[in-house]
Amino acid sequence: MQSKPVTLTILDVVSIILLGISTYLALVFAPTELVMGDVQRVFYFHIGTAWTALLGFILAAVFSVIYLVKKDLKWDRYQVAAIEVSLIFFFITIVLGSIWARPAWNTWWTWDPRLTTAAVTELIYIAYFMLRQGIDDPDRRARFGAVYALVGGLSAPITFFAIRLFRTIHPVVIGGANAEAEGGFSMTADMRVAFFFALFTFTIIFIDLFWNRIRLGDLQEKVEQLKLKVTM
Amino acid sequence: MANGQPNAQPPSGNFIKAVSAVVWKDLQAEFRSRELFSAMLVFSLLIILIFNFALELDVETRRSVTSGVLWATFAFAGTLGLNRSMAIEKDRGCLDGLLLAPVDRSAIYFGKVISNLAFMLIVEIIVLPVYSVLYNINLFQPGLLMVILLGSIGYVGVGTLLSTMSVQTRTRDILLPILLFPVVVPVLLAAVKASNGFLEGLELSEFLLPINLLIAYDIIFIAVAFMVFDNVVEE
Amino acid sequence: MFLQTTTPDTSGYMIAGYVVAFVVMGLYVASMYLRSRNLQQDLTTLEEMDKAASAQAGPAKKKSKSVTKKSVKR
Repeated sequence: MQSKPVTLTILDVVSIILLGISTYLALVFAPTELVMGDVQRVFYFHIGTAWTALLGFILAAVFSVIYLVKKDLKWDRYQVAAIEVSLIFFFITIVLGSIWARPAWNTWWTWDPRLTTAAVTELIYIAYFMLRQGIDDPDRRARFGAVYALVGGLSAPITFFAIRLFRTIHPVVIGGANAEAEGGFSMTADMRVAFFFALFTFTIIFIDLFWNRIRLGDLQEKVEQLKLKVTM
Repeated sequence: MANGQPNAQPPSGNFIKAVSAVVWKDLQAEFRSRELFSAMLVFSLLIILIFNFALELDVETRRSVTSGVLWATFAFAGTLGLNRSMAIEKDRGCLDGLLLAPVDRSAIYFGKVISNLAFMLIVEIIVLPVYSVLYNINLFQPGLLMVILLGSIGYVGVGTLLSTMSVQTRTRDILLPILLFPVVVPVLLAAVKASNGFLEGLELSEFLLPINLLIAYDIIFIAVAFMVFDNVVEE
Repeated sequence: MFLQTTTPDTSGYMIAGYVVAFVVMGLYVASMYLRSRNLQQDLTTLEEMDKAASAQAGPAKKKSKSVTKKSVKR
């Protein structure tokens, strides 16, 4: 417990190296997009963080179900770890998207399905942490957290489809020509390299942070138990 | 759950009996005090009044924002009702009493949903004619009423589950809207869109999708709440 | 859009974006490090308290709180 596993240390180092390479690929290696200019380069990190955040939210919903069935606090700690890391990544996604939107759409924000769903999702998981903060008993905290993460995890995709009833201007970069989308572009081969490398990098970083956060949760649990024992 | 008690009656009959007992208890208590109902109603009317100042509801704007104003009003008044109805249970120790009763816990959930829904619908039934008179719009259309019913079911179904959780936390007075609003966004969206369709007299096919979405949401979330309710009342 | 020849200079936005991404990730890693350090400190203190308590109380484990506290202060 105290000593960090070697694999995790290696993963830490690998994450940093990959982040460096990915940044190089995105900023230098990939060609400048002709219509939008340099700002298009935030897209690599935008997609990288978005993909991992969604992965984390889906994992969290799965952990909810497992916890509710097995009632083992281990799954609760996994869930908190997944949601916390995803919340940070998703925040980066939203900010990067907004920065990109300013020159591309001429506005920081539009109420388009993806943007609105992103904002609502972020709020759901902030509410999740507010709920947990108000509960002292670890078992109850875990149960309520799991229920809320499940309800939230189901509601977020429905929100997305609900807003899809309206028109979107968000470009669909992968798979599909969206005639209405403004600011879409097609990727050159070098852009693709940077793009897939960013996806890979952020997946590794996510695993690394997720693992570290689980260890933090384990430590928290240990301290709490010892506190109970000492004050008894 | 699964207390394995031999039931003299068939389980389904027992379940319905338990649900109606919870509903009856709530309605009777409310009938005596009328505090929940009057608070929700006055609050709703105040919200409509505030919207009047905030949006300058002249004839032109009114047409486009009516459904939005109505659903915002219902959503805010709804949290007031949900919070209070669950807080009463908690404070008077009723919840513990209910949990001791040898009935399936989900019976408590359905009982609370039905009584919360009843309060909400009564408030809505009074708000609608008042709004109609104040702003000279006929809101009594069967389609619109159906949308309001469907929307309220989804809202209360999720709201009852979440309010059961929120009253058991330290921050109980402020937590419910924060938990509930981001999760019921689809209900509000679809309900506003469908209501708008009816109010503007569009073809049904143009806004069938939001109505279907409301129905799907109601079914999914009531089913989920039914499955997980045990976890939010367990001691 | 097709006839546009000059690429707009939007590098300012790009820099802002990457600064935000790195700052947020950096802050998160820092917060995780700080939290784990604090917990590690708590853990060592608690372990000492636990040891002291069990040493003083001996086999009779359920001594009152005051005993534990005094033993730690010394």
